[in-house]
Amino acid sequence: MSGGPIAARGLVKRFGRREALGGVDLEVPRGALWGVVGADGAGKTTLLRCIAGLYRPDAGDVAPGVAGQRLIGFAPQGFHLYGDLTVEENLVFFGGLYGIERHALDERIDELLAFAELAGHRSRMAGELSGGMQQKLVLACALVHTPPILLLDEPTTGVDPVSRREFWRLVEHLHSGGATILLASAYLDEIERCEHVVFLHAGRVIASGEPDELRGRHRSLEAAFLEAM
Amino acid sequence: MSVDPQRLWALIRKEFIELRRDRRTLAMIIAIPLLWLLVFGYAASFDVKHVQVELVGHDSTALREELARAGNAFSVRRGVAADVAAARADLRAGRVTAAIIVGPGGAPAGALVDGSNLLVAQTALRDVEGLRTGGGGPRLSITVLYNPSLTSAYFMVPGLVGLIMAFIGIVITSLGIVRERERGTLEQLMVTPITRLELMLGKMIPYLAIAFLDMAIIVGAGLVLFRVPLRGSPALLLALAALFLISTLGIGLLVSTVSQNQQQAMQLAVLILLPQVLLSGWIFPLASIPPAIRWISYIFPLTYFIPIVRGIFLKGLGLPDLWVPTVVLLVMAVAIITLAASRVSKQLA
Repeated sequence: MSGGPIAARGLVKRFGRREALGGVDLEVPRGALWGVVGADGAGKTTLLRCIAGLYRPDAGDVAPGVAGQRLIGFAPQGFHLYGDLTVEENLVFFGGLYGIERHALDERIDELLAFAELAGHRSRMAGELSGGMQQKLVLACALVHTPPILLLDEPTTGVDPVSRREFWRLVEHLHSGGATILLASAYLDEIERCEHVVFLHAGRVIASGEPDELRGRHRSLEAAFLEAM
Repeated sequence: MSVDPQRLWALIRKEFIELRRDRRTLAMIIAIPLLWLLVFGYAASFDVKHVQVELVGHDSTALREELARAGNAFSVRRGVAADVAAARADLRAGRVTAAIIVGPGGAPAGALVDGSNLLVAQTALRDVEGLRTGGGGPRLSITVLYNPSLTSAYFMVPGLVGLIMAFIGIVITSLGIVRERERGTLEQLMVTPITRLELMLGKMIPYLAIAFLDMAIIVGAGLVLFRVPLRGSPALLLALAALFLISTLGIGLLVSTVSQNQQQAMQLAVLILLPQVLLSGWIFPLASIPPAIRWISYIFPLTYFIPIVRGIFLKGLGLPDLWVPTVVLLVMAVAIITLAASRVSKQLA
């Protein structure tokens, strides 16, 4: 499938009789930061999982998908790392799965721990970290193989406002470094930080554009979203 | 401490609603008592109903008739073993449990009994002894082979090796993939370049190592504490144990792939393990299990490993003697691993 590094064309995904995605089209240009926003059950996670190759689409095409999984750094919703491993052991494990040679991996882990401000916590059990730190560790693990594409599924849900701000600083840093990022969120205030926003409702794209463009005559993006629904 | 009926009812009602919706648990709750009833009621029997015996040296119609009357368990093999060496070979291979040496006049002159299966041997010994006293002739010289003192540990410990390996293989491994799924890490693993084979092997090899460590402990304890003889090749035991373990680990993985959570995996694993404990021939002789239920025994790898482990320990059997259960285990291992691999997917849906 040609086009941007992240793309979906006519993407349909069903679970039994329920249609989770009903023909989604989007194309994220290289180096862009896009956000997908929608209510719970809108299909955000299904969309990201299809793009990550975790779900097989029932119709349509996606990129990178299964074939391009090596290019993806994927941070699923919630904390899904090994709580009984230390911060460093989690990073070593994921680095090992990507076949990174140990010396290079040690250097990369030092970089990531500094980047995520977790260097002082490398020997702590991941399960004992605060919610904000856990999300930063999830991001660090997703970045261990230096992927050019990042898929972040509601990375700040349940995280305190200070940690959310810190997390966004990291995302913007990665964006300025040239990564192509697609982020799903239920928070309209933070999705405004993206260059381009997609409104997803009941598995369909109901609007797509730059935040100012979508806001239009409305006072806020939230008001625009509610009207679009 | 007072009980509020309304609160209590609310809790009871909620439990029933959850139970009704958790179909797998509900099925287990109904299936397990039924299974126990069938197994304990019909299959788990200490009554040995079949002892294969052969005559050695000479045939004797009178003795055959006497044997048929003497013990209701005796089934006399057609034909006659030429000599004691031929009878010993038949006993070693497990073709018969007892051999009665017949004198030229047709009277019993001695007997050999295979002591490797305790319950069968005890029945055979009792009935052969009965034959001696009932016959009224000179006392028979009875030789019990492989376990002359009929020590329980000789019978139990080798089988325990198989049982513990089955426990680790099925129960512990069954939690492997489902645990990843339950804590959400499976999703993370699937976006990495890890292949299905790597995922399976990565889940199996640690438990293979643990099972071998356990096996070393049991074998060591069996030899030192219980003085169980290891008459065969330790290398052969290790090789065939590995084959057995691969099939049990495969069953564990299979359970893991069909279960939604660790609780379900554990229930299913126990459901698979329990009949093996009772129907594999570890305690109750296979011949004592009614044919209507015995077919279940032949589904499980442990049924084929028990004669292997007992044969190597007590009889010193080699691969030429054990090729039948070995081939069955090999076929099972390949089939189970192939099935488990087909169930381990790199996609969630």
